[in-house]
Amino acid sequence: MSRSQLMDYARPSSLDEAHALLRKCGKTARIIGGGIDLARFLPADVTTLIDISKLGLSYVEERPVAIAIGAATTFAQLLGDRTISRVLGGVIGQMLRKVGSPLLRNLATVGGTIVSAHSWSDVIPLFIALNAQVVLHDKEAEPIPLSDLYGSRALLTGSIVREVVIPVPSAGCAAAFQKFGRTELDIALVNCACAVEIHSGKCATARIAVGGTPYLATRLPEAENALLGAALSLETIDKAARVARNTTVVADDRRASADYRRQLIYVLIKRCLLEISEKPEEG
Amino acid sequence: MKITLTVNNECREFEITPGESLLELLRSAGYKSVKKGCGSGDCGACTVILNDHAVTSCLVFAAKADGGSVITAEGLEHDGKLHPIQEAFLEEGAVQCGYCTPGMEMATLDLLTHNPKPSTDEIKEALSGNLCRCTGYVKQVKAVKSAAKKMSGGSL
Repeated sequence: MSRSQLMDYARPSSLDEAHALLRKCGKTARIIGGGIDLARFLPADVTTLIDISKLGLSYVEERPVAIAIGAATTFAQLLGDRTISRVLGGVIGQMLRKVGSPLLRNLATVGGTIVSAHSWSDVIPLFIALNAQVVLHDKEAEPIPLSDLYGSRALLTGSIVREVVIPVPSAGCAAAFQKFGRTELDIALVNCACAVEIHSGKCATARIAVGGTPYLATRLPEAENALLGAALSLETIDKAARVARNTTVVADDRRASADYRRQLIYVLIKRCLLEISEKPEEG
Repeated sequence: MKITLTVNNECREFEITPGESLLELLRSAGYKSVKKGCGSGDCGACTVILNDHAVTSCLVFAAKADGGSVITAEGLEHDGKLHPIQEAFLEEGAVQCGYCTPGMEMATLDLLTHNPKPSTDEIKEALSGNLCRCTGYVKQVKAVKSAAKKMSGGSL
């Protein structure tokens, strides 16, 4: 592990100060929260780290229409949070328990996960399904939907993720997450998340996201459309899962073949939707 | 750069480089119970308690720990007597080559501090980030149960 290139580990006293330093250093600086990724792999041109983990960004806040999660909040803190455990039957906790080990969850932060944007991230597909918005420090008034964030990486350049905001799900909304890896601790070969709003027995809205394909998590509009207006019957579920299998862009890598991933997508989406169909309708 | 760290209840100052890991700092300062395994957070041999939570010290920048508190296996002994967790690991035969043991004990300390009466599943979950290549895991799980009993005064 060679990190001898690092010249400075900055601990600014405010986000403004952190932001100014980031602007000044440009590509030679990175924001650090938990630091897992940067400790494992530090890009060759990075000489300055800017630590924002002690700037009051560790929080979960219930707001009138949304739940806000500070960027420096660790996965372990989320797992212990009562508000988070109440959202949609505790689906966020169910997902987080499948991420790494408790040792890593004590370090990994929500902001770090969003910025690292790993294709295998379990957090990103679920947060996309939950319609999460990302608030950047310098663009407070314009939260960016997580599903749009990676379309233009420029959005993240020179910015600091301050918090992630999850809209309070409406009554009748249910969500599920599924992951398949070689072992419990391994990264996902494929993961998926579904959030469906059911009114009068019919799907009113649907958000489905798949990750680990091995590309970064993305929504599946065709599979979502297969659900809209229909009751969540076995036939509808099977149809949506088949559409997902046939429309998701997948590829081979050393972990799994594209064909295997397609089959996983079918099975995992089916499991998610079955789980949702078995949840009692609220509201 | 200079940092201040409380290691095993002793407040110390360290001169570090910005890229140094907490693992490197602790080992060079003589806390040799902290082992280097994979260097990527997969094996748990370098586990220490940082600010009340077990973490893989290979993935923590030493600078990040500034002002914090660390416990290593050296800090478990008290007045020359083994900690109940250490006793339990010995008695249950949960130690073979010993490389994973300090990390396992730190993960156990974190678990039993926050959850004094863990279920078998909770124990397995708590140790899931610590790999042992000698014994398997049955004896460690037994050891954690035994330690929980000792630490609660035998009332479990």
